[in-house]
Amino acid sequence: MKVAALAGGLAVVAATASGLAEVSPRAAVTFSEEERGAILAHGPWPPPISIDASNRASGRPDAIALGRRLFSDTRLSLDGTRACTTCHDPARRFADGRDRSIGLAKTDRNAIALANLRLNRWFGWAGAADSLWAQSLRPVIDPKELGASAELVQRRLATDTSMAAAYAGIFGTEFALEPADRALVNIAKALAAFQETITTGRTAFDEFRDALERGDREGMDRYPLEAQRGLKIFVGKGRCTACHFGPNFSNGEFDDVGVPFFIGPGRVDQGRHAGIAAVRTSPFNLLGAFNDDPAGPASAQTRHVEQQHRNWGEFRVPSLRNVANTGPYMHNGSLATLEDVVRHYSEVDIERLHGDDGARLIQPLHLSAREAADLARFLKTLSDDPHAGK
Amino acid sequence: MRVPTPPLFPPRHIENKPAACRWRKSARHAAYLSAAVAFAALSATTATACLIPEGFARLASPEAEIAYRWQPERLKVGQFFEAEVIACPAPAGREVREVVLDAQMPAHGHGMNYRPTVTALGPGRFRITGLMLHMAGRWRLTFDLVRDDARTRLVREVELRP
Repeated sequence: MKVAALAGGLAVVAATASGLAEVSPRAAVTFSEEERGAILAHGPWPPPISIDASNRASGRPDAIALGRRLFSDTRLSLDGTRACTTCHDPARRFADGRDRSIGLAKTDRNAIALANLRLNRWFGWAGAADSLWAQSLRPVIDPKELGASAELVQRRLATDTSMAAAYAGIFGTEFALEPADRALVNIAKALAAFQETITTGRTAFDEFRDALERGDREGMDRYPLEAQRGLKIFVGKGRCTACHFGPNFSNGEFDDVGVPFFIGPGRVDQGRHAGIAAVRTSPFNLLGAFNDDPAGPASAQTRHVEQQHRNWGEFRVPSLRNVANTGPYMHNGSLATLEDVVRHYSEVDIERLHGDDGARLIQPLHLSAREAADLARFLKTLSDDPHAGK
Repeated sequence: MRVPTPPLFPPRHIENKPAACRWRKSARHAAYLSAAVAFAALSATTATACLIPEGFARLASPEAEIAYRWQPERLKVGQFFEAEVIACPAPAGREVREVVLDAQMPAHGHGMNYRPTVTALGPGRFRITGLMLHMAGRWRLTFDLVRDDARTRLVREVELRP
């Protein structure tokens, strides 16, 4: 069964000079049953959110409040000038708008916009953390980011009676007397509790998706025709849903999409390959002593993840929620606009792919100018800001 | 609980071929592919009688036969699942000592991102944890049955939609 025509006007099919049939810009868009299924799988939004059992502070209002305070607290940085907000600015959708972030030094990667984080399995571009709290801890002690240490953070915060009282209320222990690594983990768990509350709202796409599910023709017609055509490419010839599927538009895993991973002379960003090594050896992973739910299912990913040759140059498949608000794009921020991203996939140089032999998912899409514009238009409807990308 | 199960195909196949397995139509996730392979196995002479527990699917070739089930029953892209595998009884010295379950996406040239763990539950019975099919599309699952003297592969293909 074909889904009913989504806009008025007759479908006009014109032949291009190359002889390939191309649908007129005014033509109605129809979706096959398979395409319809793929579209519906991107919702409903918002999905139910559960607490993180590995973090006993998850979902607690007092922990969320403490985490919110700490998120902008410069005492978490070595020189007292940086905070989480330096790279994850609430005014910029919890990103920084830079290609590569600047902490105490310029980093090698783009700051990922923070939102809908409870839907993630791994954290960071390389998945070097297997929980949000472990990820929240990492920048505090990274020399290029905040550059502090567990001992420094404990020493500074121990004199803050308000913070210590909040800490004791959440974790039942006295902050100043905790082992330094335990104190830092709990600080990170409060930071995570706050970040879990950062979510994105409903979008024009969600309205269309729900109307499609209801069979609400009028509701579907409110979705721009260009975006409908772009959506058809997204779930069809673009093969985007192989990785960007589900309500969060991500499979939560990693792939090599042909973005260069050479950082400079003699320097390579190994991506997921190094991320797996880091997470498996981290004392803060879900297999370690700081997981508040050691028998729970969350640690299965860490127990079973396998480092493979093809992980070289793989980076996370990011969510596309609010993508129009969170440029620049890719792990190194090398693409400034969504149009650049679409052009990348249209013209991708497969020689840059590091994957093993075999037919590859990533192939140049060879989109026409109008197809590229439609796909970008669709991506802009994934934002909860109706003016995003305009 | 293991229960005797009726045959899916006409009884004459079983009666004429006493080595074939008796089994019942398994849970709904048993695919046509499995059924086709099973038909071939019914005329085989190498396997011994096998009871397929309720809720299990059957997968067989002329050389080997297993019953298996997924947990959760319905596979979803990007979600961990487990498999329970029962290797049908074999003559002494031909018992399956280990099952290796792997998955590949032929169209993409890659496998899973996770290494499964196999736990023996008893003679010929195994649980495999840590399985995840992380992309939508066609996956080729291979069950390698390891015996003292040979390794036999059974294949099941699944199509996962986003």
